Amino acid sequence: MRKLLGFLAENGVLVALIVLVIVCITQFGGAFLQPESIRNLFSQASYIGIIAVGMTFVIMTAGIDLSVGSLVALCGAVAILTLNKLAGGGSSESVSILMAALAALGIGATAGFFNGFVIAFGRVAPFVVTLAGLAAFRSIALVLGQGGEIRSQVPDFQEIGFGGIPIPGVTNQAGNPVVVYWSVLAFIGVALLASFLLNYTRYGRYVIAVGANERAARYSAIDTRAVKVWTYGFLGLLVGLAAFFNVARMNSVGTGSVGLFYELDAIAAVVIGGTSLRGGKGRIWGTVAGALLLTLITTMMTWYRVDTNWQGVVRGVVILVAVLLQRGSKSNDSN
Amino acid sequence: MPRLEVRDVVMQFPAVRALDRVSLSFEPSEVHGVIGENGAGKSTLMKILAGVQQPTSGSVFLEGDSVRFHSVRDALRRGIAMIHQELDLVDSLSVAENVFLGSEPTRFGLLNRADMNSRTNELLRSVGASFSSSAAVGSLSIAGKQLVEIAKALSHEARVLIMDEPTAVLTDQETVALFGLIEDLKSSGATVIYISHRLSEVERICDRISVLRDGVLVKTLGRGEASQSQMASLMVGRELSEMFPSKPELSSSEPILVASDFKVPGHVTNANISVRSGEIVGLAGLIGSGRTEFAEAIVGARTKRSGETRVEGKPVRIRSPKDAILAGIAYVSEDRKGTGLVLQMSVIENCTLANLREYAKPLMNKSKERITAEGWRRKLDIRANNLRAPIATLSGGNQQKVSIAKWLETQPRILVLDEPTRGVDIGAKREIYSLIRELAASGTACLLISSELPEIVGMCHRVVVMREGVTVGELTGEEISEGAIMQLAAGVEAA
Repeated sequence: MRKLLGFLAENGVLVALIVLVIVCITQFGGAFLQPESIRNLFSQASYIGIIAVGMTFVIMTAGIDLSVGSLVALCGAVAILTLNKLAGGGSSESVSILMAALAALGIGATAGFFNGFVIAFGRVAPFVVTLAGLAAFRSIALVLGQGGEIRSQVPDFQEIGFGGIPIPGVTNQAGNPVVVYWSVLAFIGVALLASFLLNYTRYGRYVIAVGANERAARYSAIDTRAVKVWTYGFLGLLVGLAAFFNVARMNSVGTGSVGLFYELDAIAAVVIGGTSLRGGKGRIWGTVAGALLLTLITTMMTWYRVDTNWQGVVRGVVILVAVLLQRGSKSNDSN
Repeated sequence: MPRLEVRDVVMQFPAVRALDRVSLSFEPSEVHGVIGENGAGKSTLMKILAGVQQPTSGSVFLEGDSVRFHSVRDALRRGIAMIHQELDLVDSLSVAENVFLGSEPTRFGLLNRADMNSRTNELLRSVGASFSSSAAVGSLSIAGKQLVEIAKALSHEARVLIMDEPTAVLTDQETVALFGLIEDLKSSGATVIYISHRLSEVERICDRISVLRDGVLVKTLGRGEASQSQMASLMVGRELSEMFPSKPELSSSEPILVASDFKVPGHVTNANISVRSGEIVGLAGLIGSGRTEFAEAIVGARTKRSGETRVEGKPVRIRSPKDAILAGIAYVSEDRKGTGLVLQMSVIENCTLANLREYAKPLMNKSKERITAEGWRRKLDIRANNLRAPIATLSGGNQQKVSIAKWLETQPRILVLDEPTRGVDIGAKREIYSLIRELAASGTACLLISSELPEIVGMCHRVVVMREGVTVGELTGEEISEGAIMQLAAGVEAA
């Protein structure tokens, strides 16, 4: 029993994912296995997933970033404004789109570095600094969008959201090729890059050391402040990336609604994936699985026609169960 | 009938048996000394008596009844109180609030402050305190805080008081006052269990003295039954000379590290030290003398107000441990768990953490890391079944070896060791001593900070003594003795 609990705690997110996939296959059969359904699942998971990967590093340093949802709105707004401005000023569409992407990434990274800088050098708790960001970034986005939506004036912008690489030999029922969206490819790329950083670079080791025992890390001649600044900066950059794909898909940005509660979903994905909120321990594949699990649950609830008002309860229960399972394994370790 | 008694108490930890069938009794109106080296089992025994830990086997009797304490509260309710080495008071609360913390007198469900204050003042008078019940605990001296702890124990009508190294942080005057209080407690019928490794104090105030070594009760001595040096031999179990390898010859040379005019706000007012290549210099002083803070300032782990550091004659700016390593100075901290190691990380990862640059060019070379850790395991005889296991699974001595290995990995020219044998068993202690000797013999300058005088005397070519934030004196060669160090450290003629 104890072994089973230990196994579940270590790999619970994978077990849960597999169980739910099996449930979906038996319940919905062909509909679930359609290439497009699977592709859509990954697509929906990708925005939160990209952010959650960055959040994993932040949480591994024993930090937190509550500002990511608002930052999505800010980056998205800036991206679309840049796009419209350049396209309206006579630049070619591809140049405008490229500059919009750079604007989103730049604003995201700047905000992230700013958070990290205040946290590391101002010695303010991450919770407080990013809570301020949560309030402020959304507000700036609302000012830019005059409280509402900003529409893109470049129709082809949507290509970024719906384009991608076709899977050879896979077509939908209408016979058109099924493409893997750019956002999904970016999600995969970001996850691989993050795994690489965590396991094969000094930076990854330092993140763990800072989260597990910051004083020991400092005494070990690690520049702990630089580690933090880079970690929040990296998350900010990824937020910019997620925001860019997100608004491209919509071809507009609802400054009051886009990215709402993304911070909660991203943190939930990280925690469900087995990264300790106390820092010093984490895994990227867990976060990826966590993001997929959350998305799958949302999808299933839609298919089962669960009242959307009730969906939050289900998500809350999932998060609690995940954390309780992990705690269970910890007390076993110490016995 | 003894007031408190333990019979055949065994305490088994995963790596070590801390107590092995210890039987001891404590009488009313008795001051009973418990002495032994670090790791001898004193603290474990006291934790069992105070309800912090439960023994693996064996029993505890209070006034003849078998008892089992499940918590500190439980023991306290039965009249057993522990005055901790690290005083656990809440600085932001008043004396009265601390004394009655957790057992506040109430009236109609509301705090009865008047009652609390008057009862506290009464207790403070009985322990001879000069401050009042409304003083903030944070504003008191360490001695004052200790009196608050004792008053707190008395408020629970404690009949057994366990004092763990109570004089370690006190001045001479305060120590005399404490001894007077202990006499008063004794004549009122209380049992005082007095833990210390200051043999002169133990000899002076204890009616009986029990010696522990490696978890076993060696002997219980009556008053005047053994001299201090006989007690010391009983504690160590062998002649001290066997503990320490012979000191390597010292060729005279220019100092490699010079730290002068150091000031650290609140801890160090004026400290100077120099170390030559191949030399082992001791930095001694009572707890609170500022020796650790001085060392931390040298290695950049603590902010200093002023002070100049020279390495090989050249001035260097050291504002962080990183600067120190770049200057060739490594610091093995006294707090292994807090600042020395990352407990969740593996042995391998801890070994390379301070020198990761060498293993990431730019990608982590994990096999090179493993080979390095293997090398240290062989060289320092680190006993670990699995180098990939979290370092928390190793015993204290082996953790300490890794902590030293981690710093040797940076190939320092100057090695600062703060309490390198704290919480380490005797076998590992000797190995660490030999290692320090070898390092010195190969030219490393070693600065050894220790509160264990035999260690300082046995290891060092030269000893610098600190008192109240000032380096007050220096002893060389034959001048080095425990007595001479204590004279300087306490600022008085030795008793």
